[in-house]
Amino acid sequence: MAALASLNTVVGALFILMTFLLMVSRQIQSVLRAFVGQSLLLVLSTVLLALLHHSTELAVVALITVAAKVIVIPGVLTRTLGQELRARREIESAVNVPVSLLLMLGLTVLAFFLVAPLLGPPAARAAVNLPLGLAALLIGVYTLAIRREAVAQVLSLMAIDNGVFFAGVAITTSSAIVEAAAGLEGVMVVLVVAILTRTIAQHLGSTEVSSLQQLGEGVPR
Amino acid sequence: MRLSAMLLGVIPAAPLVSAALCLVVKNVRVAKLSTLATALLAFAASLAVASDVTRHVGGVLLPGWIGVNALAALILVLQGFVGLTAAAYSWGYIPHLAPGDPARQRRYFLNLNLFQASLFVVPLLLQPVLTWVAIELTTVLSIFLVSFANTREALEAAWKYAVITIMGATVAAFGIFLLLWGLTRNHVTVQTWSALIRTAPHMPAGVVALAFVLILIGFGAKVGLVPMHTWLPDAHSQAPTPVCALLSGVEVSTVLYVILRLWPVFTAVPGLSPQSWALVVGLVSVGTAAFLLLQVHDYKRLFAFSTVEHMGMLLLCLGLGPLGALACVYQLTTHGLTKSLAFYGSGSVLLATGTRTIGDVRGLLRSAPVAAAALFVGALAIAGAPPFAVFLSELTIFRAAATAQDYLVLALLLVFLAIAFLGILRRTGGMIFGHPTHGPVRLPRSVAAAMLVGIVPVVVLGIYLPLPLYHLLGMAAATLR
Repeated sequence: MAALASLNTVVGALFILMTFLLMVSRQIQSVLRAFVGQSLLLVLSTVLLALLHHSTELAVVALITVAAKVIVIPGVLTRTLGQELRARREIESAVNVPVSLLLMLGLTVLAFFLVAPLLGPPAARAAVNLPLGLAALLIGVYTLAIRREAVAQVLSLMAIDNGVFFAGVAITTSSAIVEAAAGLEGVMVVLVVAILTRTIAQHLGSTEVSSLQQLGEGVPR
Repeated sequence: MRLSAMLLGVIPAAPLVSAALCLVVKNVRVAKLSTLATALLAFAASLAVASDVTRHVGGVLLPGWIGVNALAALILVLQGFVGLTAAAYSWGYIPHLAPGDPARQRRYFLNLNLFQASLFVVPLLLQPVLTWVAIELTTVLSIFLVSFANTREALEAAWKYAVITIMGATVAAFGIFLLLWGLTRNHVTVQTWSALIRTAPHMPAGVVALAFVLILIGFGAKVGLVPMHTWLPDAHSQAPTPVCALLSGVEVSTVLYVILRLWPVFTAVPGLSPQSWALVVGLVSVGTAAFLLLQVHDYKRLFAFSTVEHMGMLLLCLGLGPLGALACVYQLTTHGLTKSLAFYGSGSVLLATGTRTIGDVRGLLRSAPVAAAALFVGALAIAGAPPFAVFLSELTIFRAAATAQDYLVLALLLVFLAIAFLGILRRTGGMIFGHPTHGPVRLPRSVAAAMLVGIVPVVVLGIYLPLPLYHLLGMAAATLR
């Protein structure tokens, strides 16, 4: 039992490291690989928690996560955005990598600081996952704000989702129907946003969404 | 099982049937006809459900999964009504957006029906996690409606809409998980709204506080609260007009409904004081939107900013004591009915002139009198002039503020609303009067008919509040306490 718990701590550490990697990678291919890695770590943590608490619901969640996040979502992205994914272009970002890493570290500390008062003895099972999930969420929102490329933004969105579920599996379990609905919905989000990205790429000739700045209150057009 | 409980299933199924028809039958006329027929059916069903809810019967189709309370029934009626007028408006409007392309028109009606179904599902679900999934679906299924024009601007609007609101919903999901954690810690296994409300006083205050902040930020982004509102004027102005009416009239309120439904959970925890948060965030939204209103050059954006203002006002009501709850649901109702009319008016101006720029349009009263009348009534009504519905509901808000002795809030609100009032009327007034800039135009009959239907409740509710609606509002307000 104790071994499982400490193994989960290791998985948690790897999860947050993978989130860092996902957020600072400069090539779209490596962002996608980091996302799959992050999803696998989420699955691993879910399996460990399922074993730790003898929970069949969590085992079902792990299966759904494998199907949605590791298999279908990367598949959908590769199918709809093949060309954009293979483009060997640097992802532009408004803030450089060392500063970003420092800020992400700060956000991780902030997450622990926010969650610490909530973790009493009855909440021990959440001690690893809850702060790290919140950290992944904060880091993802930050990255979404500074990245200028559509595919990278989509993957940041999905990484935030992983953060939420990384915390979620440790603090609550829902029925299989609810979990399946959530997984299916994640797939639909990626499908629709990927098709929108492809349309934007066809119109703009690139997926640099930061160049979309026509709308606003400036001079009348 | 009672009839009204079965009707709960009919409401979202109706647009789905219509969507299936749009997909299978390759004929635009069939698509239009089925959309209108099912919209009428869904609206009638929502009225029947609401009427039964006010008489304390029915309301649950599948215990623990599907059911409505008074607030949810109110939202359903609003969705049903705006859905009906939007279906009628689309009939004559969409052929102008995709002339000579029946396949694209059919795709529009397919997407519209799917979006409408996702909206209907939100108030029907009894489990917060499922409601969250439904809210995400409303975003996913409306993205292609926002980008329908396929211009650079529409794609920009759709992109911002997708990224910001999906991010917001994901942040809110964290908050919902935290609330469910509060249930687990109290060994409650049922994850419904009522279980949350019952268990809330026993939850750790810190957990609920963090959940509250995450849900307010997350769903606040999709409701369009300042400072997460930046996407709203873009999406709510670039979409085709009937979609704007649905987005601005009911979609934002449908998301706010989730915050309202959770409100008793937040207020049950000592030391959290969500009322103060509501007052501050609400006032900031109203104030910011009022000043931004003065700067717009695009008349559809004008009404989009007015939505930000009204959403701020709805949140603010939650901080105004017992009468505030009634003011909130009352304003939510009048706003949905009136904002959709305002968008129908501006859409018909777009049909008549082909431009969105306020400065390029003058003299509508002579060139397109029907469009001018709809725009004028819509603008006056949404700005809060008597004798229209919003005037009465805003009076209720003022009364709630005075009763709660929040005189500073009342004064600031009056100043902001006066600014918004002048901003809206000055902008639209210039378009209506003066020498015509465009030639005379006849609007499609269905567009005029949709506006005529849309105007009825705006005028009627400005004169008096029918007793059944009064009961429904009272019961809906009671669910916020």
